[in-house]
Amino acid sequence: MSIRSPRPRQLFALLPAVALLLAACSAQSGSPGASAGASSSAAASEAVNPSCAVSTTSPADMTGSLTVLDWAGYDAKDFWTDFATSYPKVNVGFEIGESDADIFSKRSTGDQADVFHPYTGWLQFYVDNNLVEPIDTSRLTNWDKVPDSFKKIGQVNGKQYFIPWDWGFSSILYRTDKVPSVDSWSVLFDPKYAKHISMWDDGPAAVTTSSYIHGWDETKITDAQLATIKQEWTDQQANINLTNWAGEPELTAAMASGDVWAAYAWQGAYATLLGQGVPVAYANPKEGRNSWVGVYGIRKGTANCDLAYRFLDQKLADKTSQNVVDLFYYGSANQNVMNGITDPTLKQAFSLDDPNILQHTNFTPNVTAAQRDAWTAMWAEVKAGN
Amino acid sequence: MLGRRSTFWLLCLPPLLWLLLFFVAPLVLMGAISLRPGLGAHVLDFSKLSLDQYQRVWATPTYLRLLGLSALMAFAVTAAATALAFPIAYFLTFRAGKRAGLFLILLLIPFWTSYLLRVMAWKLMLGSEGAVNSFLGWTGLIDHPLDFLLYNRGTVIVTLIYVWVPFSVLPIYAAMQRVDRALLEAAADLGAHPWSRFWRVTVPLSLPGVLAAFFMCFIPTVGEYVTPLLVGGSGGSMYGNIIQDFFTKAVNWPFGAALSVVMLLVTVALVAIAARLVDVRRLALQ
Repeated sequence: MSIRSPRPRQLFALLPAVALLLAACSAQSGSPGASAGASSSAAASEAVNPSCAVSTTSPADMTGSLTVLDWAGYDAKDFWTDFATSYPKVNVGFEIGESDADIFSKRSTGDQADVFHPYTGWLQFYVDNNLVEPIDTSRLTNWDKVPDSFKKIGQVNGKQYFIPWDWGFSSILYRTDKVPSVDSWSVLFDPKYAKHISMWDDGPAAVTTSSYIHGWDETKITDAQLATIKQEWTDQQANINLTNWAGEPELTAAMASGDVWAAYAWQGAYATLLGQGVPVAYANPKEGRNSWVGVYGIRKGTANCDLAYRFLDQKLADKTSQNVVDLFYYGSANQNVMNGITDPTLKQAFSLDDPNILQHTNFTPNVTAAQRDAWTAMWAEVKAGN
Repeated sequence: MLGRRSTFWLLCLPPLLWLLLFFVAPLVLMGAISLRPGLGAHVLDFSKLSLDQYQRVWATPTYLRLLGLSALMAFAVTAAATALAFPIAYFLTFRAGKRAGLFLILLLIPFWTSYLLRVMAWKLMLGSEGAVNSFLGWTGLIDHPLDFLLYNRGTVIVTLIYVWVPFSVLPIYAAMQRVDRALLEAAADLGAHPWSRFWRVTVPLSLPGVLAAFFMCFIPTVGEYVTPLLVGGSGGSMYGNIIQDFFTKAVNWPFGAALSVVMLLVTVALVAIAARLVDVRRLALQ
């Protein structure tokens, strides 16, 4: 406070420099692919990206660099080891997205990563906003290892835009020493376990859970239904829920310590806790489990399209796919890897011993941007109201 | 030999540039983004501007209520942290003698560990199988773990007080160091009781430091989000968590920016009112 403030005139002298810098940033982020609006998507998606031309250089001699926008942990070399081995001279860099919403907002605001990793429920937004290149699957040598049901998940409006890669369940994970059995998602609202319940910190997941319990179609939630959902979660947060988890390690720590007895969880948490010897079970609720699939897409207008294709192809290779099963306990789109699972913990986590599991599983549907926004705002208000 | 003018620029240009680029420009950008109707297109597209986001903030009393609650929590944290820091600063200045430097280093040792780890440590202490519950269970005082220790607003306040006490000591300590010892001696010579020397000389002269500590703690605490995220549980959210949600979960930067601008204005207003109520200079001259 004792520092004498410089005269305003001197400050103004600096403004042009700042303006220049901002202009430079805007020019960079305003590449045609990233900034084109939804209105021009039909025309722009027909244009062929010249960098997609197949290079004739042998993989071992290919150079260049590729940036991947991925989730924390997926940047480990284990999850792209086949690419690293086949293309030793290519630099692979990573940007980390915190959530699907975070990855989508990064992509919407001009992020320049060549390859990105969204999950089901978000794919249509990339196509609607012309942010993703269509994929010519004939260029992928490992494509045959992917079952048709998974291939379909990467299609939007009948066209292949994404390659499926990892998948898993969402269900109720519970401590068998504290909760005798769980047969419904409604355990998250059970006063018997007040202050020992944990929900995933996610609005759409809250709406999904409620629609399972009420038997509603989650893609057609009405305003009145949303109001009911909001009220139920507001009460749940005040009286039943202990804490909402944002990342899986947070959840596994809270369950291992005995603070949380039952939670909305992915099966990665189940496998982790089983491995630690914590007495847990992964419920098969009567409403069905939820299932999600992670996919990779190529950024519309990337200058490294050919490399991106090769990266996606190597992502589906056996060693890389095996690692996602062994290290993250998630399923792989590579069917050879899934057929080869013998570890009893993993078999249990994927319910590979239950041939009917997929028949009573609810796959995460596509929702509209308006639904996504309304549901997330609903959840923010639920949390703010407590 | 450099002239006075060039010395001024040489010294001031780097920090000035830094502040402009990383403080002023982001604030302006935040204000500009808050005027956008939606996120579409790229980050610097300001072709359409509106006050829609602010209307929505105004129309959602839940968020404003949480802002009030966060300000109250910040006030509680700040009051407690400052009250605890004052005796520490007093001890360092007037009682620690030659060892003051050593004690100061001891006070700063927690900063050698990351903030996140220190907050996580509270989880280990207060959890149902944590240190406190295990100890109470071992002594036989309780047979069920106490579950009100973790995951509520109280835990957030306690953790934040812990985090802020060492910070709050520093400005108070700096102010007390400037207290002229001759004034205390003169007071003693004129027959002032130690208690009245403390109240009439030390306290008024260190008040500017106390106020600096108060504002330094209060301003960032209003928008705190990491601590409530880790130890607050579902009932301990603060306004900062909602802002974070709109940036990272809702893909709605404009609304998140509007919430941030509202918080900034409210915090500035509160600080301005506080600064007016307690006239720092008059207090120092009392």
